[in-house]
Amino acid sequence: LLFAMGLGTTITFASSHWLLAWMGLEINTLAILPLMCQSHHPRAVEATIKYFLTQATAAAMLLFASITNAWITGQWNLEFMSYSLPTTLVTVALALKIGLAPLHAWMPEVLQGLDLTTGLILSTWQKLAPFCLLLQINPSNTSLLLILGLASTLIGGWGGLNQNQLRKILAYSSIAHLGWMILVLQFFPSLTLLTLLMYFVMTFSLFISFKVNNSTTINSLSMSWSKTPIISSMVPFILLSLGGLPPLSGFMPKWLILQELTKQSLAPLATLAALSALLSLYFYLRISYAMTLTMSPNTLLNALPWRLPSNQHTLPLAITT
Amino acid sequence: MLKILIPSMFMLLTTWTSPFKQLWSTILMYSFLVATLSLTWLAMPTDTGWFYINNYMAYDPLSSPLLVLTCWLLPLMIIASQNHLAVEPENRQRTYISLLISLQIFLILAFSATEMIMFYVMFEATLIPTLIIITRWGNQMERLNAGTYFLFYTLAGSLPLLVALLIYHSSMGSLSYLSLTSLPLTCSNLYADKLWWMACLLAFLVKMPLYGVHLWLPKAHVEAPIAGSMVLAAVLLKLGGYGMMRIMIILDPLTKELSYPFIILALWGVIMTGSICLRQTDLKSLIAYSSVSHMGLVAAGILIQTPWGFTGALILMIAHGLTSSALFCLANTNYERTHSRTIILARGLQMVLPLMATWWFLASLANLALPPLPNLMGEIMIITSLFNWSFYTLILTGLGTLITASYSLYMFLLTQRGPIPHHLILLEPSHTREHLLLALHLLPLLLLIAKPELVWGWTA
Repeated sequence: LLFAMGLGTTITFASSHWLLAWMGLEINTLAILPLMCQSHHPRAVEATIKYFLTQATAAAMLLFASITNAWITGQWNLEFMSYSLPTTLVTVALALKIGLAPLHAWMPEVLQGLDLTTGLILSTWQKLAPFCLLLQINPSNTSLLLILGLASTLIGGWGGLNQNQLRKILAYSSIAHLGWMILVLQFFPSLTLLTLLMYFVMTFSLFISFKVNNSTTINSLSMSWSKTPIISSMVPFILLSLGGLPPLSGFMPKWLILQELTKQSLAPLATLAALSALLSLYFYLRISYAMTLTMSPNTLLNALPWRLPSNQHTLPLAITT
Repeated sequence: MLKILIPSMFMLLTTWTSPFKQLWSTILMYSFLVATLSLTWLAMPTDTGWFYINNYMAYDPLSSPLLVLTCWLLPLMIIASQNHLAVEPENRQRTYISLLISLQIFLILAFSATEMIMFYVMFEATLIPTLIIITRWGNQMERLNAGTYFLFYTLAGSLPLLVALLIYHSSMGSLSYLSLTSLPLTCSNLYADKLWWMACLLAFLVKMPLYGVHLWLPKAHVEAPIAGSMVLAAVLLKLGGYGMMRIMIILDPLTKELSYPFIILALWGVIMTGSICLRQTDLKSLIAYSSVSHMGLVAAGILIQTPWGFTGALILMIAHGLTSSALFCLANTNYERTHSRTIILARGLQMVLPLMATWWFLASLANLALPPLPNLMGEIMIITSLFNWSFYTLILTGLGTLITASYSLYMFLLTQRGPIPHHLILLEPSHTREHLLLALHLLPLLLLIAKPELVWGWTA
């Protein structure tokens, strides 16, 4: 199954024909579906179905857009999308695939239904293929991408404020970061890649540290200082880095994106995006309060006996912090 | 410069590798060494020149007093924290000291930055150790709220600053301090330019703090442990003032009209926060509001943009840093004995701790700007330059001085004189450490009477 997922993404990467790209995305979706409903928990199954429906819709839209393009321009090549209708449709379809606002509604519920590892794969690996397609087409309408980006940062920030389920928080943080990536897509695509990679690293370490603590709500995080004190002291830095505070490395993509936006005379947009980062910073701060900065036991479940984490999990965490 | 920065960085290593029994004395000794070395910065052979260490760090008569203050404060913070950290496990003590040292490093880098973006990054970087110190080692439940207020007020002000700096960079090409003087933005009356002016200053006004956006300061100061309060009051507020002084160069000539409301707000804030001080029941809160009051005067002095204004602002910043930090240490001695910040719980201390009363006396006198202390020099220079700007400010500043004197004396009389309350049965005698701490605070202040040229800034 993992092999199939890898295969799907690789096909999409290597494709220059729309049909092949679409097939890669479909293989990707189909391969992750069994992984998602492995536990047979009703919520997991429900999440799987929601995910399947949204991704299938997106893939169908993508196919429709590529056929329209082929009808108009007579060729199937990926790079030569010069008409606005197919390009817009492709952008919207890919936005649905990765979960940009306003097409983001499936993301929190789907992530909530999965366990942490599958959620990690969903948040990171699944974004790679649509992004490579997004980077290759030349998006021709500026305002669509900017609206998508700004809406994502704002919704990602506001939506996460009322949550105390960690997976929903991570979903909203994913939406917000994707918004930042899309903002700069048409000006400086390398920055999009940089943001994507930085986001991957930070989210990976966060997911793994939550997995080691076996915690899915903020309350259950509060006992993590007794289980894994070293991880507990590192997680605030990861969280603040996700929020984009200097001098942590999460600041770098935000800084460069803001620089690019101001060079393009989009200063008010830059200010709005920067201020929306404050929203998501609030709930990152709240998580770090629960985890590290307070030691009061306000957990709802008993202090778990020492669960021995499999040691191979902590090494990638240590590297990616 | 490297003599200071590299030892500071390696002090982090020392914190984690020293044997535990000698941790505090080792760190103290090293930080005193660094502080003494930093005094060499004050010796300026040329009057206005920059001293370049490398391409990115430099210091000049404006930043060197603040740098020396920063370096001087680290040993003081360590002395002050020794008592309340003694009960904590070993690793947490080391973590605390590492946070203080990393804060010191960021502050040194901030004050010696030659480019505005580096200053910005370090300005923001100081937030993280301070946030961790306040929320992790603060003593009351409200510290989480305080940390959030602190972080978000400062960030909401400084993110527009980032965008404004990037705008300036894209239109002017460079943000290096050297070239700032020769590249002012051309005068224009567009609304967007006024927004840009506002964006540049908002971060520093929030940090100073200006009266309208000062709400984070009482919370943060009150909830922070002693070292956090000290560093907040003494140095972090001055980051705001320093940044404002640096960025004023490029903000002319818009500042002539646009600064009116802020000068008035600052002066009104002096009076308002002074009056609030007279009604406080919480000792640390009183000192925090007095900080807002003094920094309001500093903000007004900087916004006037005259040489005397700048000089007065810088002197007042240094003097206030030492005084406010000394007052917080005194409040902490009360707190460590009664574990409460309420003033009326610990009255009449002159009967019980007379030597401490001396320090209370000196610190209160410094707070109300007694001649010949440098506090007065700073205040008089600012008041004079404000009077030059407009006659009517004299009413506000005169009233402000009166109220400052009254609350400083109020604080002194309430804590020292009068009958001891009946419930104070057991008070520890003053430690030598506490006396040392306060002496080290007030001694530079007294020495500055003799040679204030050290902290005069450019008009030497």
